[in-house]
Amino acid sequence: MAGVRVLVSGMGGELGARVAGLLEDEPWVGSLEGIDVVPPRSRLRRAVFHRIVAGEHERTVETVTRFNPHVVVHIAVWEPYSRATPTHARQFTDDAATSILGAAAECRALEAIVVRSGIEVYGRARNSVTRPNEGVVPHPTSRYGRTLLDIEDTAHAIGRRIGVAVGCLRLATVLGPHVPSPLGRLLRMPAVPFSALADPPFAVVHQNDAASAFVTAAEARLDQPVNIVAPGAITAYQAIRRGRRLPVPVVGPEWMAARAMAYVAGAPVPHHVLEMLHRGRLADNALAREVLGFWPSTTTSDVIDQLYAWPGVIHTGIEAAA
Amino acid sequence: MATPSVADVIAFPARTAAPAARAMSSGVRAATAWTANDVDDWGRDNGFVDRIWSMSQLRWNTSVGGIDHVPRRAGALVVVNARRFALAPIFAALAIGAAVDRPVRFVGRPDIAPLGPVMQRLGGLLADADELEGVLRAGEIIVLGAEHEPSNQHSGTIDHRLVGAAIATRVRVLPAATVSVPLRRSARVEIGAPISLRRKRRGPLDELETADAAQRRIDAMLHELGGSLTGTPLDWLPIGGIGGL
Repeated sequence: MAGVRVLVSGMGGELGARVAGLLEDEPWVGSLEGIDVVPPRSRLRRAVFHRIVAGEHERTVETVTRFNPHVVVHIAVWEPYSRATPTHARQFTDDAATSILGAAAECRALEAIVVRSGIEVYGRARNSVTRPNEGVVPHPTSRYGRTLLDIEDTAHAIGRRIGVAVGCLRLATVLGPHVPSPLGRLLRMPAVPFSALADPPFAVVHQNDAASAFVTAAEARLDQPVNIVAPGAITAYQAIRRGRRLPVPVVGPEWMAARAMAYVAGAPVPHHVLEMLHRGRLADNALAREVLGFWPSTTTSDVIDQLYAWPGVIHTGIEAAA
Repeated sequence: MATPSVADVIAFPARTAAPAARAMSSGVRAATAWTANDVDDWGRDNGFVDRIWSMSQLRWNTSVGGIDHVPRRAGALVVVNARRFALAPIFAALAIGAAVDRPVRFVGRPDIAPLGPVMQRLGGLLADADELEGVLRAGEIIVLGAEHEPSNQHSGTIDHRLVGAAIATRVRVLPAATVSVPLRRSARVEIGAPISLRRKRRGPLDELETADAAQRRIDAMLHELGGSLTGTPLDWLPIGGIGGL
């Protein structure tokens, strides 16, 4: 298997650029192209990038069908308040999914689609399973979760219609240097609110591990949903303590004030992050090892430690800049 | 006798404030140390469990028998009888965990704050077959309580849907009798041999018959242990247990 044509949507983001960088080093990848609204944030040697705004349907279809990829890696998902407001994030995500996955369906060479999803699809309704595996029926309880499930449904419908493999990587909250994450921003504030009555555990995944999972899934032509979650768990209070921030216990209506203050401070808290702080968010990661032979190298606690170790602003001296 | 100077009078509030501040900061440090533990994949807090187990030993002196039946690495479902208000599954999980030096979880935490999250830190799981299946598949030990009974004389019925999780993951189902005496400190958890049905079933009858067999085995073990005891001379009356009717 060599000379495979791979298309990466969302190549401009941190995760997409990282996936493209890893794909460039894969011997089985023949040619690599990418689409996004913004250019990649790292230097890519082989990849061809197309700057297309989500919603430019005709241009997307033309670009994708001309490339005629074997594998489509769809990462163009906007998390609410990561780089766009929840309304815009939903619109951009829907537009990108419709255009890119729709265009991919027109490609004769297409063999597999790998879609970015999240463990938000399981939802956190009362009495829902604490650590759901892929066999649990998704029942999203947040807007972002419903958006992700819509993408999965769209991809599966296309897969059934044209007979190609569809793999969904249900990622835990992705954290990494420069990854625009509302959870990361909130945890890095000097004073961080947490649920005084619950403080439930959650899991995250490192950006590099998530990117490796995409590459492994694309190579294996994954044909089922798989949770990608770092081993271990942590609570918000424990995370705050690790970061030596000031923990602010919050109960009930005080959350409205806490959210408003966080918004003003530049760390808006979307509904799915609020849900996570109240109800936790874990997922079983055993299937990834079984199906893909993939195991995240960084634990949840280590990702949180690294989150606090990343410099907020890198000061470059005048001499170095010159 | 020395006359108090003006400086002493002025310093007085500072002298009292310093110990108070020290006490407060030591309290904060203690609270910080208490909550500084890590949680595992299901939210169980080992440090918290150790402290609760130590505290529970002030009330109960629990002995555990039949440890050899508990697998060293693999998963297992331990089914125990439960006397009303005795929190038998929780104490059995703590006692077995201390005896085998492995995390042992129990079934039956509510999903409402603040009680649910506290019990989750202790190793509590929701009474849901999917939840149990995931935990057992990961090679963990779970304690499942039968329905509550007013005394230790009999075991209540066992939820066969939850036992089905053990059947699906092919782990051992171990019956265990728990006996505690309300007016004394002694408590006992006796773990029996794994349930093995004479006739293997292919369908859902397997879990139903395994649950029934576990209940019968627990009843027999309770009978051997002396049944319901009060810790008073009433126990000598021939009304139940050893030598009783």
